[in-house]
Amino acid sequence: MMRRALAAAVVAMLCGAAMQAHEIGTTRVSVLFQEGRTYEVEIVTDATALVEKLTASAGGSSPADSSAAGLQSTIASFDEKFRQRVQLAFDGSSVYPAIWYSVAPAIDAASAPAATIRLTGQIPSGARQFTWKFGWTFASYAMTVRNASSGNPRTEWLEGSQTSAPFPLTTASPAAGRLDIAWRYFTLGFTHILPHGLDHMLFVLGIYLLSGRARSVLLQVSAFTVAHSITLGMSMYGVLSVSPGIVEPLIAVSIAYVAIENIFLSELKSWRIALVFAFGLLHGMGFAGALQELGLPRSEFLTALLTFNLGVEAGQLAVIVAAFLLIGRHWADRAWYRSRIVVPASMLIACTAVYWTIDRLR
Amino acid sequence: MMSHPLTLIVAALFAHDMWIEPTTFSPEPGQTVGVKLRVGQDLIGDPIPRNPALINQFVVVDAGGRKPVVGRDGADPAGFLRVATPGLLVVGYGSNPSAVELPADKFNQYLKEEGLDTILALRARRNETGAKANELFSRCAKSLVLSGSPAAAQGDRQLGFTLELVVERNPYAIRAGADLPVRLTYEKRPLAGALVVAMNRLNPSEKLSARTGSDGRVRFRLQSRGLWLIKAVHMVPTPAGSNAQWASYWASLTFELPATSAKVAMR
Repeated sequence: MMRRALAAAVVAMLCGAAMQAHEIGTTRVSVLFQEGRTYEVEIVTDATALVEKLTASAGGSSPADSSAAGLQSTIASFDEKFRQRVQLAFDGSSVYPAIWYSVAPAIDAASAPAATIRLTGQIPSGARQFTWKFGWTFASYAMTVRNASSGNPRTEWLEGSQTSAPFPLTTASPAAGRLDIAWRYFTLGFTHILPHGLDHMLFVLGIYLLSGRARSVLLQVSAFTVAHSITLGMSMYGVLSVSPGIVEPLIAVSIAYVAIENIFLSELKSWRIALVFAFGLLHGMGFAGALQELGLPRSEFLTALLTFNLGVEAGQLAVIVAAFLLIGRHWADRAWYRSRIVVPASMLIACTAVYWTIDRLR
Repeated sequence: MMSHPLTLIVAALFAHDMWIEPTTFSPEPGQTVGVKLRVGQDLIGDPIPRNPALINQFVVVDAGGRKPVVGRDGADPAGFLRVATPGLLVVGYGSNPSAVELPADKFNQYLKEEGLDTILALRARRNETGAKANELFSRCAKSLVLSGSPAAAQGDRQLGFTLELVVERNPYAIRAGADLPVRLTYEKRPLAGALVVAMNRLNPSEKLSARTGSDGRVRFRLQSRGLWLIKAVHMVPTPAGSNAQWASYWASLTFELPATSAKVAMR
């Protein structure tokens, strides 16, 4: 969740003023995955600059032949050198692509010859994510990654030598059946709460801590579940779209609110259920953001959406069961239960959530 | 003065130089010169196309006064200038600040590389050596282009950049091996104790470097002909309320020592 908020902040920064203020070069990288079987990376970069870098790193000086053909053969002759600063990795393991180098002459006197470099190969079977690193540029460059079957390209701005964010290959295996997909998205939903979603965990704990009655937990959790299912579905079908820059800080506020209320309230009021419902709407949008990042297979959209949601519910239940095992209900009637457990735990949750709120607003 | 061992390419990730590379340093009167912007290391760089959001000043000053360097957005060369009359042209590119966040180790390494010892010491005093850093960096790049014959009377000019290198003799009129005095100013006042580095395209790893005296001056004995880059970096803490902790200014100056400079200087 925190990582996602950070990624959202970075995207916001890149899309805003800061992106324009970056020293953007002429290098462009595009990556295409075909049916989960092959990858194709195309790098377009200034040919003369690349030749200068390659020859200098080999300890030589640039050759005199600056024609397109001359530049092309020079770049191709440095194949091994070139590979040293290019990294394509699936699930963290580098692959060795086939590479074609070509250089097109300058279009006019004012422009420079451009090198187009194509890297191709097979996606290792079962690969789940892809990362990229290109160390032959000093300037910022855009990398666009597209999966032929999903069609939604993702663009990321990278500094030279910076490793890209992992690109999920969730539609990687065309052979994956409905059950496989259901299980995969159920697991993703579950792990999105436990262990990755500390903020959602604290929210559920906040709900749990309010009162000693099982009815209180049941009513609140039901309201929360119905609400987040609504906004998760609406967001995934494109009916609803709210920026993570708004949703993420509000999620943190909701946690702080529930925890602070626990300090002053020990019984379930009807408006508390209404509030938890409203907060559930927010959390649903947060889940949708995560699910959008993971990507959904077009063919099994509904299966993935429902099983992800089920995974989230299972994650929530696991948190409640764990809380029950740790804190228990049998002490709930004791006089010290509120003063020694509910109040300190709620204060801790509230402090964490206030910190997140501030952090996510920055 | 000292020379550095070869530290090549893209390794130091964020401490890249930025300089102006005209398509020619010795244009004919009437000729149009492309003004290329380059970002890189050891005079090997990537083209930076014209980005209107980054440009604060992009100008050329000649005997006729100060004119904007025009160009097409997104194009490399980033600008073009037309040489109206023979003489020395001072080309300047001042950028708006760019934001960058660096992890502690990278930031400390870059402070060391660029000789920013006072900032290293300040971070140590504030117990921030292990902390990441948010920085706003701005470019203050200049280039000297000569059309026609050199004359000692022609000189570099102060363009008014926050950090600025000014050569105090016309480099096109000096004897090879003669001293070139260079002055570094910050907010138009001499900056003392700053590291200034000079490198030549033919052998960029053999750097000349010196710290400025109290008058902001250094002197370099330039033995090699061809393209020279002189550079300096200055960093200051940002005022309270800014969303970065540090502001850095990257001054650079390029020119070409022509093969005929010795002969001309003796005239």
